[in-house]
Amino acid sequence: MPFSISAEHKLSDVIAASPRFMLLPEHFGINYPLGDKSIKTVCGENNINQVLFMVFANLYNGMSYSKVETLPFSVAPTIVGFLGNSHRYYLEEMYPNILATITQMAELNDAKEMSLVPKFFVDYFNEVAEHLKYEDSIVFPYVLDLYQQTSIGVSSKNTGKYGVSEYKEHHNDIEEKLADLKNLLIKYLPLKNDQATRRKLLLLLSDLEFDLNIHSQIEDLILIPLVTKMEEHLISEK
Amino acid sequence: MSRSAKIIVVEHSPIIREGLKGVLNFSKIRVHLSFIDSFEELKTVSEKESIDIIIINPSFVANNPKAFDIERMRNGNVKWIGLVYAYYDSRVISMFDSIISISDTADTICSTIDRAVSADSQKGQSQEVLSEREIEILKLIATGMANKEIADKLNISINTVITHRKNISQKTGIKSVSGLTIYAVVQKLVSIESL
Repeated sequence: MPFSISAEHKLSDVIAASPRFMLLPEHFGINYPLGDKSIKTVCGENNINQVLFMVFANLYNGMSYSKVETLPFSVAPTIVGFLGNSHRYYLEEMYPNILATITQMAELNDAKEMSLVPKFFVDYFNEVAEHLKYEDSIVFPYVLDLYQQTSIGVSSKNTGKYGVSEYKEHHNDIEEKLADLKNLLIKYLPLKNDQATRRKLLLLLSDLEFDLNIHSQIEDLILIPLVTKMEEHLISEK
Repeated sequence: MSRSAKIIVVEHSPIIREGLKGVLNFSKIRVHLSFIDSFEELKTVSEKESIDIIIINPSFVANNPKAFDIERMRNGNVKWIGLVYAYYDSRVISMFDSIISISDTADTICSTIDRAVSADSQKGQSQEVLSEREIEILKLIATGMANKEIADKLNISINTVITHRKNISQKTGIKSVSGLTIYAVVQKLVSIESL
């Protein structure tokens, strides 16, 4: 159940209350240990907009995104940094972890159909990696460039080359296949000697699903509207 | 128990509006209809009250799937029904949970609404058994055939294929082609060697 969080709370208390917040500071680039600092202090020290932090904290709190007071353009680099850190976590830690667990499960369970699961996941992983790399190399630099232009009024030569409306719509796909895999494991794939591994895998998949869902809410409901505003701002300046 | 549903209709045409109102008088469910003129108004309306179903003319969203997705996310539990009386690409048709076509009978329209309302309450207990037709289509999906190819082979419209696929996914909980393929193997509908 979500609980109420305020900026006066100690960040360490929030995380101790529920492990679902564990990745929140990491994605922001805030290092553990957190000591006894309040959210407000941590934000100040790390140069993070406090309103933005609270919005993200509430997403991790299990609340769906509701409109907040307008965020300034200056949060753009923070959001990009947060999303980039999440990408690294998915690519370097979470997906390899899941793949290793699936491989282990397929070794334990000799049901014929089980051999299809690693292939399903590898194909899926490649799709995800391609999408995340596209965001890292095209979308994020574009957002940062746009922010530069709004903040110092420099018109870059890149303008017009790309627009956020081109943003690919891969997220649904990414979450859809993850849900498919969970359903296959829970409802259909025969169990043979793999109970503990399957349990471990399901926990990993649930964790990933939770984080990805927040990730796409941040991109679709916060980053894209902000970028659209920056684009409009720059057009009106011309 | 008499159920009720709050329905927002996004549609300009007064004829269609009145017609829909008339048809829904036959519904078993108590419906509260409101009509709005633009996709943008949805945002305001949905912030004020809780909505069960949005019936919308695809022309409002066909060229802006991104805005549609965002609105969908904002209203997580709402069922979206396309109100179709012109030709739309199958990509547009598949954006909706279900479709009401201008040529549907009053009965069909009411049961589409009925299903949309009860979809959530039935989720856990819906009949998971696929119909023979659905199994036939699932087998073709598993062999890698696209919607168009399946439609041609079975001599049905592409929209019918899409509807079958939606029902298959709803019953099995599996949406992707690769996931459905594994499902078909587990259920011994296709052999692993034939893939």
